[in-house]
Amino acid sequence: MTAVHQFVPALLPRDATGDHTLALRDAFRSVGWDSDIYVEAAHDELRDEAMYFERYPGRARPGDVLLYQLGTSSPVADFLLGRDEPLVLDYHNVTPESFYAGWEEHTAAKVALAHRQVAALAPRSVLGIADSAFNARELAALGCPATEVVPILVDLEVDGGVVDPSERERLASRHGDATVLLFVGRISPNKCHEHLVGALWVYRRLYDPRARLHLVGPSVTPDYAAAVLAFAAELGLVDAVHHGEGLTAAELAAWYDDADVFVCLSRHEGFCIPLLEAMRAGTPIVALDAGAVGETLADAGLLLRTARPATVAAAIDRVRRDPELAGRLVAAGHRRLDDFAAPGIRRRFVEALGRVSERTRVVA
Amino acid sequence: MTPDAPGPAEGAVGDTSERIRYLDEVMAEIDAEVRRRRASGDLPAGLEAELDELFLEFSPVGLQGRARLRETLALVDGSAYVDIAVPTASNKAVGSYVKRLIRKGLGWYMDFVVAQIVKFAWSVSRMFHVVVDHVEALEAAVETHRSPDLPADAVPAADPGGGWWSAAAVDAVRGATDRVLVADCGDGALLDALAAAGVDAYGVDPSDLVLEPALARGLDVRAEGIVDHLRVVAGEALGAIVLTGSLQWLRPNEREHLLELVATRVSVGGTLVLHSTTPEGWAASVPAVVRDLAPGRPLHAETWAHLLGSRGFAVADAVRGGADRTLGHVDPGGPDAGAVNAAIDALNELLLGPTEYLVVATRER
Repeated sequence: MTAVHQFVPALLPRDATGDHTLALRDAFRSVGWDSDIYVEAAHDELRDEAMYFERYPGRARPGDVLLYQLGTSSPVADFLLGRDEPLVLDYHNVTPESFYAGWEEHTAAKVALAHRQVAALAPRSVLGIADSAFNARELAALGCPATEVVPILVDLEVDGGVVDPSERERLASRHGDATVLLFVGRISPNKCHEHLVGALWVYRRLYDPRARLHLVGPSVTPDYAAAVLAFAAELGLVDAVHHGEGLTAAELAAWYDDADVFVCLSRHEGFCIPLLEAMRAGTPIVALDAGAVGETLADAGLLLRTARPATVAAAIDRVRRDPELAGRLVAAGHRRLDDFAAPGIRRRFVEALGRVSERTRVVA
Repeated sequence: MTPDAPGPAEGAVGDTSERIRYLDEVMAEIDAEVRRRRASGDLPAGLEAELDELFLEFSPVGLQGRARLRETLALVDGSAYVDIAVPTASNKAVGSYVKRLIRKGLGWYMDFVVAQIVKFAWSVSRMFHVVVDHVEALEAAVETHRSPDLPADAVPAADPGGGWWSAAAVDAVRGATDRVLVADCGDGALLDALAAAGVDAYGVDPSDLVLEPALARGLDVRAEGIVDHLRVVAGEALGAIVLTGSLQWLRPNEREHLLELVATRVSVGGTLVLHSTTPEGWAASVPAVVRDLAPGRPLHAETWAHLLGSRGFAVADAVRGGADRTLGHVDPGGPDAGAVNAAIDALNELLLGPTEYLVVATRER
């Protein structure tokens, strides 16, 4: 019997990697494979879905294939380096430590360790599955013998993007018909929120003095988040920048629905799921072409070569003033979503892991 | 996109090329709008640079050296005190009473534990004070080894990029996926050439005086040294860096520091273009006082190739250029012409070859 077991540092609910891991486990089981999840830590809600990774040796069977969900540092990586089973990496990217230097030294050290673990695991693995070609290139450069691009499983059909009407109403009542820019992502230096604030300032100066910026995401780097807000205050934008976190799926859908333009100026993204959420919501996208953003977006948004505030502001204004452009971007977004439809991604994962398992049995 | 990356749906390829063409046209119009705004004065030159600098005021990476050390030390001092008086305020009267009761009941225990924690924290803080004092003493000692200033009028002006190497530099960075930084950009001649080639570039130069023509033309330039600027640029943020000018004056430790910064600020796959005078050309062109007192000397192209290679750059062959000071051959029919021309070749090779070179390197890791 084919057996593909997943290892993940932390299994969390309402988390992209957590949802992806659970969905893959279900996909593997649906084709009759044996598949369990092993973790370093699991949220209370998901405790029954996983086992601690130290328990795997007692449950290991000949022919097992191990799939590691790799996006941060973990003792799980060292554990897997000591195993003999065929190892497949599912690489979700690790932010370069240089982004955190000066802001949060312990996070810089953590991601530096993660990079060392990726470098050790890549040549040891039989296959590297990457969310994007950007991630795949990184794995290949580190000596991964074979790579395959299969995006992360984001089942946008699960909640259908249902909007919480009261949240939508609450947001609308705060800004009237002023332009609303939205970015969704954790507040972290690689996401460059300061460029969003700078772009808002220039946009208000040149195009719409009442425009607002809505930021959704946890403040995972508190010093950076504080600096971004202090920067906004210095520019007189305290009331124009609105931060939300801990939103339900329906509330988040309301923020997307409320926004006029989704703006992403991240310097480093391994995939960028919020782009897909914006496409689903029909919110036109303006994004900096950095990391994997360009390939995730394709032609479903305005891709900028620079994050200079004047260019970002002019692009936003163009989207606001030009209904044909906005309509074409939204239509392209809906088309692009088909490429990331969950059934197709599930099938590609099953095929890729099936090939590894088949080869393993032949060799054995 | 790799062959197995998700692409557009089958049958939509024709549509895709039309859509891409449409988006390219829109982007060109957006760029034109930005240029129009700049030209009209809506976007004063330097405004965007001021925004960057303003954010740095709130950033720990904006604080340098001693200021950052002392600020961090103050943070340690401020955190070293642990308050045993737990707040007892509550929305309910009974809540406040219960909290006070717990505080009173646990006071003897907390007092014992907190006293030890505070003692430890102050010991650590004291140690950091000793370290910082020591570091500042070291900095003062290092300062005494500073080179004397050169007479300003003896230092030849740097080539801002209008010379023989301009076209090769533009070709090398054409297609950069992120912004291109030109160091010692001077009057912005190279920035003009880059803009004409559609490259998004900006410049820095330590002298605000030489930047005036560039500012007047609305170019994005900042009065800042290259090292100071790169320190506050995010990692992998630049598509390419063009180094010229002060490169040949750097002390060895400054050169090492610059290389470390360049190797992290330019993105993987990005380009480094390095223009320099040859050591021989430099020695022949600068006055004796500069030759004697300059803190650093230009390197040979081969040395740069070695230094860059050790930092993850793939280096293409250097291109030589600049003033050609080579001696011509004597009439081959003359007496001892063979020996004389061989000696001339040797002289040309050793002392009188091209006076400048351009090194182009690509960051591989």
